[in-house]
Amino acid sequence: MRAPRVQTIALTLALGLLAVIWLAPIVWVMVTSLKLTADIVRLPPEWIPWPVTLEHYQEVLFSSSRTARIGRAFGNSLVIALGAVVIVVVTAAMAAYPLARMRFPGRDLVFTLLVGSLMIPNAVVLVPQYVLVQQLGWLSTYQGLIVPEAAMTFAFGVFLLRQFFVTMPGDLEEAARIDGANTWQIFSRIVLPLSQPVLAALAIFAFRSAWNDFLWPLIAVNKPEMFPLPVALALLRSAYSSESYGPIMAGAALSALPLLVVFIVANQRIVEGVRVSGLKG
Amino acid sequence: MPRRRRRQTRTAYLFLLPGLLLFAIFRLYPLLEGLRLSFTNARLGRATYQYIGLANYTRLADDTRFTVSLWNTAFYTVASTLPILAVPLLLALALNRGALRNVLRGVFFFPFTLSVVTVGLAWLWLLDPVVGPFNYYLRALGMPARSWLADPATAMWAIIATTVWWVTGYYLVVYLAGLQDIPRELYEAAALDGAGGGRTFWTITLPLLRPVLLFVVVTHVIGSFQIFGQVFVLTGGGPGDVTRTVVQHLYETAFQNFFQFGVASAMAWVLFAIILVFSVLQFRLLRGHTEY
Repeated sequence: MRAPRVQTIALTLALGLLAVIWLAPIVWVMVTSLKLTADIVRLPPEWIPWPVTLEHYQEVLFSSSRTARIGRAFGNSLVIALGAVVIVVVTAAMAAYPLARMRFPGRDLVFTLLVGSLMIPNAVVLVPQYVLVQQLGWLSTYQGLIVPEAAMTFAFGVFLLRQFFVTMPGDLEEAARIDGANTWQIFSRIVLPLSQPVLAALAIFAFRSAWNDFLWPLIAVNKPEMFPLPVALALLRSAYSSESYGPIMAGAALSALPLLVVFIVANQRIVEGVRVSGLKG
Repeated sequence: MPRRRRRQTRTAYLFLLPGLLLFAIFRLYPLLEGLRLSFTNARLGRATYQYIGLANYTRLADDTRFTVSLWNTAFYTVASTLPILAVPLLLALALNRGALRNVLRGVFFFPFTLSVVTVGLAWLWLLDPVVGPFNYYLRALGMPARSWLADPATAMWAIIATTVWWVTGYYLVVYLAGLQDIPRELYEAAALDGAGGGRTFWTITLPLLRPVLLFVVVTHVIGSFQIFGQVFVLTGGGPGDVTRTVVQHLYETAFQNFFQFGVASAMAWVLFAIILVFSVLQFRLLRGHTEY
C-alpha cells in the first residue's frame, strides 16, 4: 500500500510544478504590465513587480495617442461579443427545440446540414462574406461584426442544445399541453428555464469565440475606432518599438480579463460545453 | 391526423426560421458564392468581371509562394499532430485519478480562453532574443540562446510550441471526458487478470479512446490548415517565407495585394478540398469497432 501512495504524491507534485510552469507565460504578461518601464527589460527576470505601477494601463486606456485605442477597443469587443451571444443563444435555442422534440418532414436533413457545416473552415468563406457585408454596407459597423460571428457559432449552438433537449423528460411538456399551453409557451416557460446550465455553457462559448476572433474583424473593419481588442492589440504591437512591452502587455492582460472572470465563476460550465463539443466525434 | 401534422410542421419551421436565415445568408451562401468567384477574375472595386474557367486554379499551380505556403501549412499540421495528440493525453491520464484534478484541469485549460493575439504577444515577449526570460534561463542552464522566431530552423517549431500551449487545455478536457466514459469494471477485470498499467493502457484505454482520438485529430487538422493568427503576430510569415501559411497568403492576396478575390477564392477552395480529403481519410483510418 505504501508504494502507490508515494507514487501518487510524486505525481501530484510533478503535475503541480508543471502547472506553475504552464501558467508562467500569462503570469509574465501580468507581471510585466505592472512594472516600471525601466524595470521591464532588467535581467535576471524579476517575477514580482516592485514597485508596482498602473501607468501602462492608464496609457492604453486613456491616452490620446492615435495608436493606443485599447480602451475603446475593449468597449467594442464587449458590444460585439455580447451581441453575438444574444443572437446565438436565441436562434440556436429556437432551432434546436423542434429538431429535438418534434417530428416533421425535413428534420433530419436540416440537422445533417447544420452538423456538416461544422466542417466548413471559416477561412474558406472569408472573401465572399466580405463581399456580402460590403454590399450590405456593414463594413466597420457593429452589425458587420456581430452577425457573421453569430453565424459562425450558430450550428455548434444547435448541436449543443439539441443534445440537451433530447434528454429532457416529456412529462412536463405533456402536462402543460393538456393545460392548454401552446408550443411557444411550453418552449419559453418550461424548456428554457430548465435548460439554464446548457444555455450558460453556450453563452460562454459564443462569448469566447466572438471576443477572441481575429481574422474576420481584421478585414471587416478599416476604421481604427471600430477595432475590437485582438485587432487593436496586434496593431499596437507594430506601433511601439520592442522595448515598450509595458503598454502591449497591459493591453494583453486586459483582453484576458473578462474570460478570466467568467472562468473563475463558471469553470464547470465551460468544461461542460467543451465536453459536449467533443462528443460529436 | 394529417391536419395536426401539418400544423406541427409549420410550427417547427417557424421556430427554425431565424436561425436558418442566419445560417443560409452568412454561411451557406458565402460558401457557394466563393466557389463561383473562384472561376472569375473578380477584384475589389471592379464593377464587372468575367468567368475565366479554371485560370485561377492553374495560376495557383505556378504561384511558388502559394506552393511554399501550402508546404509550410502541411508541415505545421503534420509536425504538430503528435504533440497535440500526446501532450493532453498524458496530462489527462495523470490527472484522471489525482486529488487536484479539477484545479489542475482549470490551470491547463486557462490559455485556451485567450485570444490568439494575446497568446502571440505573450510568447513574443517570452521568446525575445535579448531580454526575454526564456533565453535568459537557457543561458543560465548553460544552453545556447537563440532568436527562436527569427531563425529559419526554429521559427515554425516556436509557433508549434505556442499553439500546443494554447490548445492543450481544450483537448485535455475532451480526453478527460473520454476517460470517464470507459467503464470501471474493465480496469477491475484487467487488474484481476494481473495486467499492469502499461498493458491496460494499450489494450483498454487506447482502443476505447479511439472515437476521442479521431475527434482530436480531425478537429486539429481542420484548425491547423487554417493557421493564421499565430503567424501574423509572431513572425509575419518570416524569416523569408519559412512560416508563411495558406490563410496568410489568401489574406494578403485578397486584402493587401490588389484585392484579387477570384484567385483568393480559388485558394480557399483548394484549402477546403484538402481539409475534406484529410478528414475523410482520417475517418476511414481511425473508425473502428468501439463496442464494449
